[in-house]
Amino acid sequence: MITFKDIQVHFGSFHAVKNLNLEIREGEFFTFLGPSGCGKTTILRALAGFVTPTGGSILLNGRDITNVPIEKRGIGMVFQNYALFPTMTVYENIAFGMKVKKAKKSEIDAAVRDIARKVDLKEEHLTKKVSELSGGQQQRVAIARALVLKPAILALDEPLSNLDAKLRIQLRNELKALQKKFGITTIYVTHDQEEALTLSDRIAVFNNGVLEQVGTPYEIYNHSGTEFVCNFIGDINRLDPALIESSPLRAFIRPGKVAYIRNEKVNLAPIEGEDVVRLRARIVDREYYGLYSKYVLELEGGSRLKTIEKENGRVALEVGAETDVYIRPADIMQFDRTERGH
Amino acid sequence: MSGKMKALAILMLVCLVLTACGGGNGGNGGNAGNGGSVSGENGGNGGNAGDAGDGGEVKNEKLIVYTNSNSDGRGEWWIEQARQAGFDIEIVGAGGADLTNRLIAEKNNPIADVVFGLNHMFFENLKKEGVITPYVPSWASQVGENLNDPEGYYHGLVKQAIMIGYNADVYTPETAPKSWQDLYTNEAFKGKYEAPTMLGRATMQMVVAGILMPYMDENGELGIAEEGWNELKKLYDNGLPMVEGEDLYANMAAGKVHIGTVVSGEKFKREQEYGVNVGVVAPEQGVPMVVEHIAIVNGTKKMDTAKRFIDWFGSAEMQGKFAAEFSAMPVIPEAAQQAPDHIKELFAKLKAQPLDWSFIAEHIDEWAEKIELQIIN
Amino acid sequence: MNAQTWKDRLGSLHYGQMLLYAIIAWFVITFLILPNLNVYYEIFFRDGSFSLEPVEKLISSKRAMNSLKNSFILAVSLMITVNVVGIMLVLLTEYFDIKGARVLKLGYFTTLLYHGVVVSASYKFAYGENGIVTKLLAGLFPDMNREWFHGYWAVLFVMTFACTSNHLLFLGNAIRKIDYQTVEAARGMGAGPFTILWRVVLPVLKPTIFALTILTFLTGLGAMSAPLILGGTEFQTIAPMILTFSKSSTSKDLAALLALVLGLATIILLTIMIRIEKRGNYMSVSKVKSTLVKQKIHNRFANAAVHFIGYALFLIYVTPVALIVLFSFTDARSISTSTITWNSFTLENYARLFTSMSALRPYLVSVIYAAAASLLVVALALFASRIIHKYKNSRLAMALEYALMIPWMLPSTLIAIGLVLTFNVPRLIVGNTVLTGTHWIVILGYIIIHIPFTMRMVKASFFSLDHNLEDAARNMGARPFYTFRKVLLPIVLPSTLAVLALNFIKILDDYDLTVFLYHPVYQTLGVVIKNSTDVEAGIIARAMTLVYTVVLMIMSGITMYLVYGRGAKDR
Repeated sequence: MITFKDIQVHFGSFHAVKNLNLEIREGEFFTFLGPSGCGKTTILRALAGFVTPTGGSILLNGRDITNVPIEKRGIGMVFQNYALFPTMTVYENIAFGMKVKKAKKSEIDAAVRDIARKVDLKEEHLTKKVSELSGGQQQRVAIARALVLKPAILALDEPLSNLDAKLRIQLRNELKALQKKFGITTIYVTHDQEEALTLSDRIAVFNNGVLEQVGTPYEIYNHSGTEFVCNFIGDINRLDPALIESSPLRAFIRPGKVAYIRNEKVNLAPIEGEDVVRLRARIVDREYYGLYSKYVLELEGGSRLKTIEKENGRVALEVGAETDVYIRPADIMQFDRTERGH
Repeated sequence: MSGKMKALAILMLVCLVLTACGGGNGGNGGNAGNGGSVSGENGGNGGNAGDAGDGGEVKNEKLIVYTNSNSDGRGEWWIEQARQAGFDIEIVGAGGADLTNRLIAEKNNPIADVVFGLNHMFFENLKKEGVITPYVPSWASQVGENLNDPEGYYHGLVKQAIMIGYNADVYTPETAPKSWQDLYTNEAFKGKYEAPTMLGRATMQMVVAGILMPYMDENGELGIAEEGWNELKKLYDNGLPMVEGEDLYANMAAGKVHIGTVVSGEKFKREQEYGVNVGVVAPEQGVPMVVEHIAIVNGTKKMDTAKRFIDWFGSAEMQGKFAAEFSAMPVIPEAAQQAPDHIKELFAKLKAQPLDWSFIAEHIDEWAEKIELQIIN
Repeated sequence: MNAQTWKDRLGSLHYGQMLLYAIIAWFVITFLILPNLNVYYEIFFRDGSFSLEPVEKLISSKRAMNSLKNSFILAVSLMITVNVVGIMLVLLTEYFDIKGARVLKLGYFTTLLYHGVVVSASYKFAYGENGIVTKLLAGLFPDMNREWFHGYWAVLFVMTFACTSNHLLFLGNAIRKIDYQTVEAARGMGAGPFTILWRVVLPVLKPTIFALTILTFLTGLGAMSAPLILGGTEFQTIAPMILTFSKSSTSKDLAALLALVLGLATIILLTIMIRIEKRGNYMSVSKVKSTLVKQKIHNRFANAAVHFIGYALFLIYVTPVALIVLFSFTDARSISTSTITWNSFTLENYARLFTSMSALRPYLVSVIYAAAASLLVVALALFASRIIHKYKNSRLAMALEYALMIPWMLPSTLIAIGLVLTFNVPRLIVGNTVLTGTHWIVILGYIIIHIPFTMRMVKASFFSLDHNLEDAARNMGARPFYTFRKVLLPIVLPSTLAVLALNFIKILDDYDLTVFLYHPVYQTLGVVIKNSTDVEAGIIARAMTLVYTVVLMIMSGITMYLVYGRGAKDR
């Protein structure tokens, strides 16, 4: 549905987006993920038309929209701080776009009330000033305001940042539900990997203006395409070259590669399988979280691994205890040595 | 939208409020009207305006008249007199310097038709800038000698004497200063008099010119010998500075200062207003006598009316009337007869200091600048 | 890449917008650059060559150098004192929970009602040698010098309290926009009231404080009536000298030069401020703002102290105004000697107002001029601020910003003369017509001299706007002008209206500029007042000054009420 072809964006001498090629499918919840300054917002703004790429083209359903004015792209945008118009009521905020388009009053009224109902805004909220709403209600207004114009795409720029953790999770769920309800192609920009993993159908990970990997959350997490991606997402152990050399792991890691294993893939409970590698370690630290515990293990030769185990009674080791550690070679991710990613 | 509306609403409201005020004022407007008809007791005269208009032979155009001497009700008086004589005039009043600047700035597209009340120096300046045009009024020959512009650009109306005035309750004619020089050299007067620091005022410029005149020296700085500047320095060092918003007569009444510069035209009225008794000094070398003139502005589109107006305005009859009303001293002897006795006595006592006007006109601004920068502390 | 950005920019422009830009460019060139350049040319190159003589003249004059120094001393002192008092007033009325804050606020707002010579004169009624306060003090300390109220401290005192209007208006607006959650959060983290004020509240107010600081500095540099009336011989400033020189035919160069020095100082300060303004981003990032709740001061001693300060300031502010009103009902002699007895009271002054102001016309003329000019200047400033805000980093926008500061480089007398001189011949650039002597030139004059102030304040509010609002509106299809009108303007409107009202009030009785520009048939209030209250006009005139002041106070009060009185509640 959306195709980015060889997109380049420069700001003066700063090369913000480097040769981006990407395809986004109809109805998808697609996330741009990356640290701040990675270019993800720039790409979103290029798509919405606020930034003109210095090279390449953006296609929407096969049509080149690179130079189409913002308002003709049919992209509804929700801003980081929602950018609700403070001097207007909720109703006026939602109706704004339709008024601009000179829609009939009755039409506007019907559309505004309809969309408000769909995003669970109560009738009495409509006459309020936006400053009188809670954070959740503001998000719903921002989304309603974008959706009322029936855009082909909903673009959200870090809408959950600057909110407290509890509200963030609540709004995340609301957002997901809304997207499912409307089935609209949604592009979501965030630096929060948890948000990206929970919300997205697919994720694109960016670093320094370069697209590192595109994939489902599962792929991104379990089969990270680059060293950067595997480091950026989730908690991970880098396998010490000394450890590899002195252990059976050596057989599974190609020479000259860097090897990583996710924390939770380092098992303290025995696992079955042919290739399982067994190592010997001592518990040096344990943090108890109730649902699970986090351990720090020291292996022979002094290198350390972090792991996490569910508190289901199967594993309960105290600091100082000796234990076996089980690793599936298939869980190890290997990359070429690169400069970046550290 | 609401913004615009609001701004508009405010505007409207302001207007409304003012009109409401106007309602209150309307009564007063009526008052003023009454005043008009009271003086219109000579109703026949009032009709004159109409007559002139109907007469057809002369056009009754509105004249714009610039002047610096319209305060104390003089402007209103002239408007009323002019109305009775069939002239429709609009008086624009401002200080002499402001008025001169304005006239010069407007010279390519003049707004004024006639200018009067400025002194010789300002008129010299206007003449040099080509702001005024020559016209010799019918009464020009009656004016005392050397008081008109020999080239016929401007002509004299009234004389003003610029004098040292003292609080007569504090000094007697014997203890009062004898001259400016006495004032600034005698220890007894140190810190008791107001020095002419406000050089933006024509009067103060004349005081300075009068003091510097004896020290004219081609080789001196700005045409004045070193000595002259030293004298002036003493004048400022030993006097009190004038303070914006304060008035000499008020200060005399309050006992803050005892001596200062007074002008013949306003002295009598101020004495009454503030209840002070002011004596004046008649030094041997004389006092600066300023003549207020009248002229036609170059480029006026109402030349004929302007000429007629000047002929009427400066006439012995009108100047005499004016003198009687406002204690002025007309330059036409016949009109001067009408001046109140106290004015006639005053002028009889005074001698005009001989001053080289063109020399002063040429240098006065530079002098003022030098004084501002180097003489005043 | 430059060409690319230009193409983009032009591509996104609409014809209306282009026209607007063209109009602004035309205005700047025609009315800001051309006449003022003309004046500079006339002054400095009149004799065919430029000479450094005026510079030498000024440097060799001890008085000029002293006055200049005093002006700078005053400007810098005021930057501190006015900010201290101004911030205090705003905190007292908007931030702390003070009993009777509404009444206090009214008192503090009285500075909006009068300005110029009258301010200093009214303080003299209170603190002068026959003033009420002096008499009270002399009763307590019989040995005191009754002529104590003059010199640097007197000038600083009067100007400090007289120049806080802008703080009340604009800082008041800004503090009301503070997100209360930040205050609560800081308190949650254990910050004391002082820390909260210093680390949380004041930083958010910084852009406004910067703008106000520049204005204060400028006010200090241009101080005229207070030093003239209260400075005594020991503390005279440069502005009166500039005024005198600007009216003299031979000394205009000195006036222009001195004004240039003051202007440059202002521009340097301004440049620094603009830098800081660009660097700092004090925008609120919070999504859910909550309105400021007035802070109770729990420390009983501190609370008492703050209340005391509040009411003491109230007295300082109200006394001069009360005295003006009181004295306007007394006879001329009482006014000139600042003494009142039971027999002093009279209604004669007011009776004379209604007879001497035989016509209502000057009021109407002034109101119309003031309304037209203040509306236009605000509109101009809005569009210009918008351009500068939008193209923050473009050279042209920078040039525009500085061009709009030109009126600060010249005294208003010279600006007026420049206008008259330049437009008294038909000029192609204004449609081959003569402007001198028309209504246009009067309105233009007012617009020009009020541009820099208006720009500062309007720009400050623009720079506190969230960019996303504009993007959001565009995203929904709104054209730039529509966005400007419907989204941005309503947000900056409170500050803008305040500026409008202030300009309106100032134009109502302007004299310095008007005297050169006004159409003789349409005399303005300022001219009529000056004519009938000129010191040379005698004792009655002096009494009338107060009456006119009271009338203007009423008009100003009504204006401010319309802008603030009702609006403040729902805002």
